[in-house]
Amino acid sequence: MTQNGAMSKKLRTAGIFITLGLVVQGISLIWNHPLAFMAFLGGGGLLLGIGIVIYLLALVSTAQTDLK
Amino acid sequence: MPTAVVLILVGLTLLIVFLVIIRPEITAARGGKILAFLALFVFPVFAGVMGFENHMERSKQTAFCLSCHVMEPYGKSLNVDDPNYLAAAHYQNSRIPRDHACYTCHTNYTIYGTFRDKFRGLRHAYKYYIGHPANPIKLYEPINNRECLHCHLGARSFEQGAVHNADPQTMADIKGNKLSCMSSGCHDTVHNVPQLDHVKYWKPQP
Repeated sequence: MTQNGAMSKKLRTAGIFITLGLVVQGISLIWNHPLAFMAFLGGGGLLLGIGIVIYLLALVSTAQTDLK
Repeated sequence: MPTAVVLILVGLTLLIVFLVIIRPEITAARGGKILAFLALFVFPVFAGVMGFENHMERSKQTAFCLSCHVMEPYGKSLNVDDPNYLAAAHYQNSRIPRDHACYTCHTNYTIYGTFRDKFRGLRHAYKYYIGHPANPIKLYEPINNRECLHCHLGARSFEQGAVHNADPQTMADIKGNKLSCMSSGCHDTVHNVPQLDHVKYWKPQP
């Protein structure tokens, strides 16, 4: 896989996690229930966090490859 | 921030994230890199923070507290037609904001009070759904006079109240939380849940 291909794959993966996280967070904002906050934090927050970390790691790994 | 605004922000973020998912090759150009940074970092973090703030604000609402089954009688007690019922008198006379009635009296007016309350709220949810809530439910610790004095300190009815000034030590003890407003026997009828079947109720005018 080329460097661009690998980067695209990581961006897609990050994007999918972030999309899922945002969808869960959006639903939790509409859902008027005590568990909505749990869903927001435990579901949406976790997925969003994973997506952001994947994106940041992708950036770092690209920067390292560029340095080499 | 209103829920609608946060939802619009979430929707906009989703649109940009979709663009990056569908066309990741746009990130080869400088503009695309900036767009990806906004889509995959800045906007999601911003949406998350706004959503968190929205949830925190919502969890202060009376309706939120009363959405738990165990809290129903406490909500009912707010409409008791008896001025001796402390919670009802505060609620019905708008001495506290009606839409934040529970939070206003039960929060902890210290620097991290709100966060402590919200962590306690998580514990409530755990007990409600996984553990066994106490029956009847009890406060973790007695209400500190600080919570009452947050509003009443300086108020004429409090500062010049005959009983509060019965002797010079009384006022000092109240302010120093040595003499509890509630458990000292003065304002001790608060929610009085066991008696709720034997009282009259106030019906708010529409």
